[in-house]
Amino acid sequence: MNNPIGALPAEFENTHEGVKILGFWVFLATDVMLFASLFAVYVVYRSRVALGPTPAQIFRLGPVLAETLILLTSSFTVSLSLYAARTSHLKAAIAWLVVTLVLGATFVSLEIHEFVTDVLAGHTWHQSAFLSSFFTLVGTHGSHVTFGIGWAILLTLELAFRGLTVANRRKLFSFALYWHFLDIVWIFLFSVVYLAGVMT
Amino acid sequence: MRKAPEDPTLPGESVEIPLLAPHLSTPHFPARQIAGYVTSLILTGLAFALVAYRLLPLSTLLIVVLVLAFIQAAIQLGVFMHLREGRGTTWHLPIIGLGLFVGLGIVGFSIWIMLFKSGVS
Amino acid sequence: MHSWLIHLIKLLFPPQVLLPDIIGIDIGLTLSALAIVVYLTKTHRWGWLWKEWLTTVDHKRIGIMYIIAALIMLFRGGVDALMLRSQLIVPNAHFMGAQQYDEVFTTHGTVMIFFMAMPFFFGLFNVAVPLMIGARDVAFPRLNAISFWLFAFGAALFNISFSIGGSPSAGWFSYPPYSELQFNPGVGENYYLLALQVSGIGSIATGINFLVTILKLRAPGMTLMKMPLFVWSALVTSTLILFAFPPLTVALGLTMLDRLFGASFFTLGREGMPMMYANLFWIFGHPEVYILIMPAFGIFSEVVPTFSRKPLFGYEAMVISLLAITFLSYGVWVHHFFEMGAGPGVNVFFGLSTMLIAIPTGVKMFNWIFTMWGGRIRLTVPMLWQLGFIPTFVVGGASGVMLAAVAADYQYHNSYFVIAHFHNVIVGGTVFGLLSGLYYWWPKMFGWKLNERQGRWAFAFFFTGFWLTFMPQYFLGFEGMTRRMASYPAGLGWGGLNAMSTIGAFIMGIGFVILVYNIAWSRLHPEWDTTGDPWDGRTLEWSLPSPAPAYNFARIPEVHERDAWWSLKQAGKTDAVKLSPDQVEPIHIPKNTPMPILLAASFFVGSLGMVFSWHWMAILGGLGVVASLAWGSIQDDTDRELDPASVLNTEKRLGRVHP
Repeated sequence: MNNPIGALPAEFENTHEGVKILGFWVFLATDVMLFASLFAVYVVYRSRVALGPTPAQIFRLGPVLAETLILLTSSFTVSLSLYAARTSHLKAAIAWLVVTLVLGATFVSLEIHEFVTDVLAGHTWHQSAFLSSFFTLVGTHGSHVTFGIGWAILLTLELAFRGLTVANRRKLFSFALYWHFLDIVWIFLFSVVYLAGVMT
Repeated sequence: MRKAPEDPTLPGESVEIPLLAPHLSTPHFPARQIAGYVTSLILTGLAFALVAYRLLPLSTLLIVVLVLAFIQAAIQLGVFMHLREGRGTTWHLPIIGLGLFVGLGIVGFSIWIMLFKSGVS
Repeated sequence: MHSWLIHLIKLLFPPQVLLPDIIGIDIGLTLSALAIVVYLTKTHRWGWLWKEWLTTVDHKRIGIMYIIAALIMLFRGGVDALMLRSQLIVPNAHFMGAQQYDEVFTTHGTVMIFFMAMPFFFGLFNVAVPLMIGARDVAFPRLNAISFWLFAFGAALFNISFSIGGSPSAGWFSYPPYSELQFNPGVGENYYLLALQVSGIGSIATGINFLVTILKLRAPGMTLMKMPLFVWSALVTSTLILFAFPPLTVALGLTMLDRLFGASFFTLGREGMPMMYANLFWIFGHPEVYILIMPAFGIFSEVVPTFSRKPLFGYEAMVISLLAITFLSYGVWVHHFFEMGAGPGVNVFFGLSTMLIAIPTGVKMFNWIFTMWGGRIRLTVPMLWQLGFIPTFVVGGASGVMLAAVAADYQYHNSYFVIAHFHNVIVGGTVFGLLSGLYYWWPKMFGWKLNERQGRWAFAFFFTGFWLTFMPQYFLGFEGMTRRMASYPAGLGWGGLNAMSTIGAFIMGIGFVILVYNIAWSRLHPEWDTTGDPWDGRTLEWSLPSPAPAYNFARIPEVHERDAWWSLKQAGKTDAVKLSPDQVEPIHIPKNTPMPILLAASFFVGSLGMVFSWHWMAILGGLGVVASLAWGSIQDDTDRELDPASVLNTEKRLGRVHP
């Protein structure tokens, strides 16, 4: 378990776990394409508002800023969890992971609240192509985060019961990659959808 | 930077591309993580302030916000995602690079192709 | 009194499904399924089926299952084709109604591309790639089984639409607004969307798996530039899959949101944009045709050197041209919809990039011919398919360049010229290549060869039938016959050419029947391959016994030259692949697991629920998916160890141990 400073991080010690990490990177590359396609749809549909609201009319920057800060912080905490695992501090790793998933859950509930507010105001995706693409793009990110929360719960249990095994370190590393990746996607959502949306 | 002792290498790892040699280290204090977090908070705040208070003309505003987003994405990749770590040849670099290239390509091309009506009028 | 029951029956079997031919086929399918069940029960083979096949993670067995499924799908798609051609043999024929005709051409195209060609070459990848690079399995064996079962259940979902609920009818690329609920209210389109989605997830997983396998699990000494070209083709195909399939996922997903949940992406109202679907679909669709052709290029690059007894001419040029085609194929997709009117700038760009692809493809053609030049050519069945491929594919490629000329494309678009073009490249390229590979690697898969004489007859019929079917279609296109016509009036001068085309299609059908006969006959009168190297091959898979043991290589070979096995044979060092008893080591091989088939079955159940909007069933399937994933994630004893004694025994039995 001891990881001497400057040596190969534990995730890469076992050859097969290293191969799995490469596989996960490749998966992330395909996910880049998934989001790229959805961004392409959104950007093309941005001004196709039909009789519905324009982006500037429905976006509220305050809650979005809060969501952004929460997700950024969770990205930081998951990196601390990985750092703790690398320095063989099991309890710290679990604690930071739990903080991460709580922040993630807060993010998702804020997003759901935002969606529900829009829908209650009558702005469903039935209204226009713009709203369809907006809800789908942001919702796809949100469902990725939700999946990540489920994964984090499973991972927390595995860490608690099995400790910092080679497989668990690799899983934590992959999860951290996934979580940071979702953070990157959100940075673009924040900039391209929300910030650009209120620029009129 | 060195490999662990008695490191059982995979057969395919005998094929190295020197430019992609792995970079590995775990320091004593998570300074990189904290620096990365603070930087991304600053960048986010900056982008938000620029838009919320209209600090720039519209034409440059979008470009500046996008540039800030790319800088922040690069920080996430470099600091948090341990982009330069790997075993043997770090194949994930060209793969992620290709993904970003093709992804940006389809967004750009789709705008060019599908916004044809505005180009005509 | 059971009004819900009557309602259910009407939903599952709407009136247009109750055609006599479909009822006949339904009864036939039910009877054959019963026969299989009875056979398995009588011979007590259920346990064997479950243990040896349904839960296997061995790449060789998964490969065989892929190929069997692909051949069944080839039959299904072929029957569709014959139904279409029968309708068109004379003017004004109406043996199918227009709706049914639409359903049949939709299922023909979809089945052939997604459920025949793709699994067929996935099967050959599985059979050959790990053996060619000296690996014991693929990088992620369980994921490999998941890919297979997702494909299998996706294919099953697509095929049951035929008897339950009605088939999709919007063509293989399913353009909105016709595919939208407003114009296409049945469940057929839902089947299309979900079946492709499920098998598409499997395809992405296969892409990830083979990319990592090839990058990470090569034998020592096998640098990238020493890999066999089939492995190169698997590498670029995997890359194409990775970046091409997500846009398809999005296109299908958004259509599904429109249809099932009232979104407005591709609708006519509310500023939806049907052409955006075309854009997304072809971002996938064009790389897809290269996904289909690259493996065939790879197969021919193995077959030609083997049967010419010469190293491949211009290996580096072959690799560079593969990479160039891969790169260019992402930048050509608008040529499928020049007529949208995106303007001269866009159209010229995409027209030129399309024409550029002809250059690396031409390089490959010349290199195969130069490889044969001066070689000692053996006209075996794999080689015959290769020789048939060259003229056929050149015609298809040349007509492709004609279609790339934007102004001319306004004339060709949606005509039979296009039909003839893409069958020339997909049948003449992909199918010829796959069949060549089937005959080539068959002994490696099963340990016995397919009869050569019958194979030659199958080729002769298929090849002749092909040219007779598709050459007339170019001229039909010139004469103005548009694609997807359910029938055509007399007096347009199309009758003769259409009749020729139909006769050709039936000759191809005879070729397929001979192929199946060939397999069955050779199974009953096997010509055993005792050496493991029946073709005097060049690459590492021929250094192994046929079929290879579960762990493939008892000792991982070292590679020094490009045609590794050939160079050992030339140097008289074939004993290098044998073991001495002290070299035997324990081998880890992956354990069988039912998780892949359970995961895919859950996808199937959930998707069927979505097709009919039965939410309880969709949720049930979704829970099954989550449960299977969680179970798979916490499994930690995925490997088992073969002890040295049993490895040594197996190797001794195979005669691969130094005395």
